Amino acid sequence: MSIAVGAERPVAAPNVAEDLLRVEGLRVVFPTSAGGSRTVLRGIDLSVRPGEIMGLVGESGAGKTTLARSILGAPPVPGRVAGGRVVFRGRDILALPEKQLRRLRGHRLAIVVPNPRGELNPTVRIGDQIATMASVHLGLDRKAAKARALAMLRAVQIPDPERRMNAYPHELSGGMAQRAVIAIALICDPAFVISDDATSGLDVTVQAQILDLLRKLAAEHGSAMLFITRDVGITAHFCDRVAVLYNGEIMEVADRNALFLAPAHPYTLLLLAAFSHNPGLRQGWSVPASTPPSPAACIYSGRCPLAQPLCRDEKPPLAELGPGHAVRCHFPVRR
Amino acid sequence: MRILRYLLHRLAFVLPQLLGIVLVSFLLVKSIPGDPAVLMLGPTATPDAISSLRGQMGLDQPLYKQFILYVDHLLHGDLGTSWQTTRPVLDDLLQRFPATLELVTFSLVVAIVVGLWLGIASALRPNGWIGRLTDIYGLSAGALPDFWFALVLIFVFYTLAHWAPAPLGRLDIAVLAPEPVTGFMTIDTLLAGDMEAFRSAVSHLILPVLTLGLINAGPIMKMTQSSMEKMLASDASRYEVLCGIPQRLVTRHALRNALPSIVTIVSVLYGYLIGGAVLVEIVFSWGGAGQYAVQGVLNSDIYPVLGFVLFSAIFSLIVYIVVDLVYVLVDPRISY
Amino acid sequence: MLTVDRLFKQFPIAGSSKVVSAINDVSFSIAPGETLGLVGESGSGKTTIGRIIVGLIEPSAGSVRFDLPGGRQASGRPPTGKVQLVFQEPSESLDPRLKIGATITEPLQALSVERGAWRRRVRDAMGLVRLDPALLDAYPSELSAGQQQRVGIARAMITEPDLVVLDEPTSALDPTARAEIIDLLKRIQAERNTAYLFISHDLSTIRFISHRVAVMYLGMIVEQGEAATLFSQPHHPYSSGLLSSVLLPHPELTMESAVSLKGEIPSPINLPPGCFLASRCPFVIDRCRVEMPPAETVGAGHSVHCFRHADVAATRPASKTFEAFMAEAERILGRPASQPARFVPKATERNSHVRTS
Repeated sequence: MSIAVGAERPVAAPNVAEDLLRVEGLRVVFPTSAGGSRTVLRGIDLSVRPGEIMGLVGESGAGKTTLARSILGAPPVPGRVAGGRVVFRGRDILALPEKQLRRLRGHRLAIVVPNPRGELNPTVRIGDQIATMASVHLGLDRKAAKARALAMLRAVQIPDPERRMNAYPHELSGGMAQRAVIAIALICDPAFVISDDATSGLDVTVQAQILDLLRKLAAEHGSAMLFITRDVGITAHFCDRVAVLYNGEIMEVADRNALFLAPAHPYTLLLLAAFSHNPGLRQGWSVPASTPPSPAACIYSGRCPLAQPLCRDEKPPLAELGPGHAVRCHFPVRR
Repeated sequence: MRILRYLLHRLAFVLPQLLGIVLVSFLLVKSIPGDPAVLMLGPTATPDAISSLRGQMGLDQPLYKQFILYVDHLLHGDLGTSWQTTRPVLDDLLQRFPATLELVTFSLVVAIVVGLWLGIASALRPNGWIGRLTDIYGLSAGALPDFWFALVLIFVFYTLAHWAPAPLGRLDIAVLAPEPVTGFMTIDTLLAGDMEAFRSAVSHLILPVLTLGLINAGPIMKMTQSSMEKMLASDASRYEVLCGIPQRLVTRHALRNALPSIVTIVSVLYGYLIGGAVLVEIVFSWGGAGQYAVQGVLNSDIYPVLGFVLFSAIFSLIVYIVVDLVYVLVDPRISY
Repeated sequence: MLTVDRLFKQFPIAGSSKVVSAINDVSFSIAPGETLGLVGESGSGKTTIGRIIVGLIEPSAGSVRFDLPGGRQASGRPPTGKVQLVFQEPSESLDPRLKIGATITEPLQALSVERGAWRRRVRDAMGLVRLDPALLDAYPSELSAGQQQRVGIARAMITEPDLVVLDEPTSALDPTARAEIIDLLKRIQAERNTAYLFISHDLSTIRFISHRVAVMYLGMIVEQGEAATLFSQPHHPYSSGLLSSVLLPHPELTMESAVSLKGEIPSPINLPPGCFLASRCPFVIDRCRVEMPPAETVGAGHSVHCFRHADVAATRPASKTFEAFMAEAERILGRPASQPARFVPKATERNSHVRTS
């Protein structure tokens, strides 16, 4: 757990030694065409322990993909890391030279991307794309890399793996391409896997299969996972802990049960309310968005039904509400 | 083999395509004003002599009969006779077309090497000094006329520095030309084992090849740069970067995906330069096919012109078939 | 109001004699003011059905009938303005160079509505979907995805249609915007008695808005019935499998239906004989592979194509989970009664220690 005290200062948690990966005060800005800049991540604090599945939910535009790629030191173009650290096994990987960082990427820290048919190289056979990972990162020769790739295709349960080794991405279904991308992510036994909205384009019955596969393989490979999604429902069943991202800030983070059974941030409640079939309940948590708050204000105060004058004057810190439960709110909901 | 079937399928269309090209160019050449008989006999000819020559040349026949006659001759390997050189057009072209082809091929090799290298380097670092250099280079390569650039090179390297030989043909006058085998002077001299002639051939090639190569590297560079930039910014390349694939390999994959558009522009340039190199040929007194065809046009000598068009068309069709084969080999998504 | 009878649609594949069977023998009807939810995964043919109903695609066989006021009927293409379509991707279905006001009035050009009335009708339509009239002169790119979809709905509603085909209208939206659009659609239906054909792959949304539900798989309606009964006790393994993959945001509430489907949807080219689900179904018996199960009626207005529907129905009903979730939602989402006191985080030893470091 990382908890910030004061608006921007990240504060290290007590169990630092246990953290596999820790994001501290990560800020990412994008230059705008007008010559200014837009802050997409406003000081993200997040930690993932070994073997844990950490969920991160947020709506479109919250900065999910920017976070996923910035953790790997490659924010989406033209974004730029403007501050903060990503500490992996005690080392700030963002401070590493590009060459060393590349050796970590795909090897110790891997990513599963959405829309894999667009991300896979259209002119390279699936088997070669998977095997390349093993030869680049593990130094395997061509034959050994291919054998490992085939074993991986089998592990991700692609039907007829020998034949699919020679298939091109456009010859695979969406579900199969997603499995191939998982094979690429896991072939080097990474310690940490980021899943960036990996199930979003899939049909629900296939999505369930992919989730099972991810969970099973992550456990087998001993990988911890940051599971980024816009689907709140998945995180409630798939993740050990869940963080809620809004407009580039973590609003609430807690163990799965605490977050879904005793949510404290009004924004978390709004997200859950979307699933309620009772419009009365929902409308209680949604307020028509008003003018953007001043930089000093709570970033959610313009949409918050509980906002008080204090919220417009002072940005709340991400502070501990209970054990392992932190919330960025002056007036968290408690029952 | 599916690819073989594809090739046969393509070749089956070559003959009708050629016939169409011959028809169109025949009509176009015939519409050029000027009477060959008048030009051949000179200003002092009598009308009787002119009309008898016209009858001899078949010029008094209707156009469609002239065309059928021409095609009939073509099928028997007769491309007509040039009244200027008084030799069969086929013989002339077999001698001159390889000269042009040699010049254009070596120029394209230079253009590809320079264009690819600059294009890739600037795509990798669009804001670096190479990026800026390529912008200037692309602009000047597009703006400078090739014959003017050739004259500058001649002035600097022949007139001032004496590094290059005189721009008068493909060999020194003192050097005996080898027996033509391929028509490529560099290859024929090597085949003949005549090292002195080989050196002479290479030294005569340098300036015209540099002229055409550096000028035509411009479009290749621009195309490489833009398609490489697109490929490096594609989801596939970004994903490879996120997977820790070394930049060298990412670039190689991107180049492979950018190849179809680069091959396209190279093939267009190849076909274009066969005729488009004519000004440079004239500056260097190259004695190539382009020069030959232009002389034909200027003097209403139609058979050299038609023969040149036919040769260029066959050459372009071969190039395009090769290009389509490259597409099919590079991109598995193309079905054929 | 709308009756679809034994609809078939085959698409030829270019350069081949094979055909894609997009729709295989589909029949259903929609009453005035009713919502029929058409649920299925990609490739199930649900979009094709929507397009046939609005007249964008000709069916290969079968009929589409509209009942008009005064007992008249129209077959084939619907009467102008009476049936409208709302698309999935609001950003793609709006012309980026057209102002919002112009976009919404577009359908009026096809109807002979006099221009004098346009302004009033646009304002009414915008009011109906709760769009700020100030947005009349805005361009689509200036709007959020939720607002764009409101424009799409306003454009459909301006002709006062009897039926609106909504093709995945909320799939591209975030959950909060999605819920707002659903509320909006329900309100409009209550006010105007408009019928909806609501096409979606999202079961929670379908359950939320539909009176009746038709579950599609590979161009067939495998089960249809009242939403409440179908969701509480599905009789087809595919409906049950879809239901069991719904993940509600509550860690303790899972759809413990026994049905999990293997593999992926097969290609609609050269469909196998027998039941299309046979290769994925945990209930499969030999008979399923050779014979297409006929439609069987299992309750009032509830029909299913499955030999073993009784066994499927005997699995644990899903409705309990939904009901439990709704009860939990009441508890979690109830607004706190009193004004909250400010939360002051404890300044622990640990924090002060780190601050100084």
